[in-house]
Amino acid sequence: MNENDSNALEYNRREFLKGGSVATLMTMLGGVELFAQTNAAPAGETKTPAVKINVAVIGLGAWGREIVNTLARMPQATPPIDAKIVSVCDTYQPFVTRTAKLAPGAAQTTDYKSILDNKDIKAVIVATPTHQHKEIVLAALKAGKHVYCEAPLAGSIEDAREIALAAKAARQLVFQSGLQMRSDPQRHFLLPFIRSGALGKTVLARAQSHKKTNWRTASSNPAQEKALNWRLSRATSLGLVGEIGSHQIDQAGWFLNALPTAVTGFGSLAFWKEDRDVPDTVQAVLEFPGDVRMIYDATLVNSFDGEYEMLYGSDAAVLMRDGKAWMFKEVDSPLLGWEVYADKLTFYKETGIALVAGKSKAPPANEQPKPAQDEPFTNTPLSFALGNFLRNSVDLDTAAEDYKASYGEDDLEGMMEHLSAVPRRAAASYLEGFHAVVTAVKANEAILGNKRIELKPEWYQLA
Amino acid sequence: MNTKRHTLFAGTITCLLLAAASLQAASQMTTYAARSGSKMRIEGTSNIHDWQVESPFIGGLMEVGPGFPLEPGQAVTPGKVEAKAEVFIQVRSLKSIEKDGKPYSDKMDEIMWEHLKEPVHKRIVYHLTEMTLKEAPKAKDAPYVFDAKGDLAVAGVTNKIAMVVNVLPLADKKLEITGTVALKMTDFKVNPPAPKIALGLIKTGDDVKLIFKWIVGQRKLPAA
Repeated sequence: MNENDSNALEYNRREFLKGGSVATLMTMLGGVELFAQTNAAPAGETKTPAVKINVAVIGLGAWGREIVNTLARMPQATPPIDAKIVSVCDTYQPFVTRTAKLAPGAAQTTDYKSILDNKDIKAVIVATPTHQHKEIVLAALKAGKHVYCEAPLAGSIEDAREIALAAKAARQLVFQSGLQMRSDPQRHFLLPFIRSGALGKTVLARAQSHKKTNWRTASSNPAQEKALNWRLSRATSLGLVGEIGSHQIDQAGWFLNALPTAVTGFGSLAFWKEDRDVPDTVQAVLEFPGDVRMIYDATLVNSFDGEYEMLYGSDAAVLMRDGKAWMFKEVDSPLLGWEVYADKLTFYKETGIALVAGKSKAPPANEQPKPAQDEPFTNTPLSFALGNFLRNSVDLDTAAEDYKASYGEDDLEGMMEHLSAVPRRAAASYLEGFHAVVTAVKANEAILGNKRIELKPEWYQLA
Repeated sequence: MNTKRHTLFAGTITCLLLAAASLQAASQMTTYAARSGSKMRIEGTSNIHDWQVESPFIGGLMEVGPGFPLEPGQAVTPGKVEAKAEVFIQVRSLKSIEKDGKPYSDKMDEIMWEHLKEPVHKRIVYHLTEMTLKEAPKAKDAPYVFDAKGDLAVAGVTNKIAMVVNVLPLADKKLEITGTVALKMTDFKVNPPAPKIALGLIKTGDDVKLIFKWIVGQRKLPAA
């Protein structure tokens, strides 16, 4: 869209129906689109990635294959990373075979221990079924691998605590919980905006995940089929609120800067009744300090309106979806300081404020401008999360090597102190991963029991 | 004959004394190795804003003779002292930072490393060749001020540089060696980077300032 062409910004109903995008809809409703600046390389300056690392992926279900796909695109990411997928692993051979096309040259194995024995592999990404995380993660940390563990970290608070404590103890290693939104620059851009009170008094958070899917993987082998469909059994799954909702609930707590104090849940098995005991439709109300509640709603029965998160305040609401965000201001809300410096956009009956990299007025002379780019915001939260994980891993390894080269290997404690101070790119830590499991376990318990559970602060204490 | 014998004897004694003196001097050399707490900072300019990069690593060894101050308040005589050092910085450990010390930009780091020819020349190396104590400190906790001369190798080009360094003896047999030196990138055949960004072309200035704090500790003698 040409922002200088005012005619192009005057939508009519036909154009709206023709376009029909969510962005168009939000614009029509008076949304102010909020963009983060990117750290993209300037066009034409793509060079050999400075960061190189050998990785392996353990667990090659749909999400594991998405991870492999994302890693394969890392050399084209901004900034680029030469992530060499040395090995891929799954206990289910057809998954391994299917992944081979995505990672040509990678060794294929059904035994994760062979990956841990390979000294050339510096980092592993664990995307196995949740209840298998603990064994693999603990072994990987013991083998000296940097670990990215998908969320939720575990299916029980006890297992999550063990993982988190092991990660805490491994100070020379990076451990990242797969709460990928915590690495998303778009969310980091929004964070100070929301925390600074730009929405007024925050009163409500809402998130939903609507899909039409049976959540099932088919197999000709009944025993294998049961293993593949671990999400459908209460014995191995935290259900929708754990497997999907933990990301969105964690994000709400992150923006609100608080842990929930209570959760009330409801669940029903309304449609996919034949093959599972995990509800296909759930609602949870999470209570946060300051009289703020979050309504979480997920279903596998209807896909309308998809997946998004919202925060509501007395002055404005913010909607986050598809890597973008829009602000909807109340008519009586005060003028925000940054509005003065932002480009104004006129669309339909509203005048909005765009925060687009490089489009606002120059910052004060004493501030260092970021190397912002005009490139579209195309990267995914997963690619940011994996990119930050790999870069953090390389940074920690090189810091350890540089420390030893400069100061010798006698002062191990000094090196550990130094490593703990190495700046990390935005990533969910073991503690945040642990907190997310505590909330998910209790929310799932509330949903299965259709009850309210007070979340005791001590449950969130790691040790 | 007797005269010749006496001369030979005297010469032998002189040689022995010189050798003994040399051995004694060698035994009085004190070796220091780099310790954590060091920092190298490089400051520069550009047409948009000033910039700075830092590394927490300065490695290397230093060997000093008897006239070198090892303890706070130690009486020393101004003049040339026996000292040599080999100091290095891993180029990849230099990272761009904001004024408040937060990381600035991965892209800028990569541009800097590329201009410093990091893939080939992994280290910036300084070789100390001469050190002269300017004057004794006026206070016990004041540093000893030296003129230092040496060779600095950056991106494969070596230049002789002179600078003032301050040596402050610390507890635990450590020394804090600080100093500042102004250089030109082009003296080391480093072209000032001019990366393209969305805001336009950044042109960095040729002049840079190196500010360092090198912490060294007495090296433990190997067990007998």
